[in-house]
Amino acid sequence: MDNVIKVQREDFNADDLLNKVKSPPSGCVVCFIGTVRDHSKGREISRMSIEVYEEMAVKQLEMIREETIEKFGVNDIIIVHRYGDLNVEDNIVFIGVAAGHRPEGFDACRHVIEELKVRVPLWKKEYTTDGEVWVEGDRHE
Amino acid sequence: MKIKVKYYASFRDMTGKNEEVLEVKDGITVKGIRDHVRGIYEKIAQKEQVLVAVNGTFTQLDEVIKEGDDVAFFPPVSGG
Repeated sequence: MDNVIKVQREDFNADDLLNKVKSPPSGCVVCFIGTVRDHSKGREISRMSIEVYEEMAVKQLEMIREETIEKFGVNDIIIVHRYGDLNVEDNIVFIGVAAGHRPEGFDACRHVIEELKVRVPLWKKEYTTDGEVWVEGDRHE
Repeated sequence: MKIKVKYYASFRDMTGKNEEVLEVKDGITVKGIRDHVRGIYEKIAQKEQVLVAVNGTFTQLDEVIKEGDDVAFFPPVSGG
């Protein structure tokens, strides 16, 4: 299936992606959309920029998608992650999982976002009232 | 041998470079090149977490780097 993984600057249309991922054998589509929050650790955020190591990010997302389909037995997964300059409330990431039933759908969707947060080379820079701050995750070597 | 390394996010700010070519000894490991970079840049040396990817994949610290490999240095990721 084409275009199931995308790393892109432009916004996405969640309805289009939901329609694309669902299928006759799927009884549900579980969706996660990450958006830009207006605060972080007590600081107000006016905007955000996201940097990506695109070649590796695509490779890691493909691996996560394939591992998750295999592990949870879901039918299909679409992942879209944005980079570049974003404003508060803008979309950051879309994860759509089509599954036979809701338990594996929810579990698979959760698995994708948790893996993405430790494995995919994307970095947020928040523009706060105290200046620019790189956000760093908690992956250990 | 010469190895091209890339820096991302806060590491690019710390080094002031997107990428550079390092002269390292043949047979150097991932840990070895990480120590090499920590020796050049004090700010990276002070970081507890220095992630290294080779050819777009996380690798073991004892993996040997080969000439032509794509080596990238970056802090823990924060997408999502």
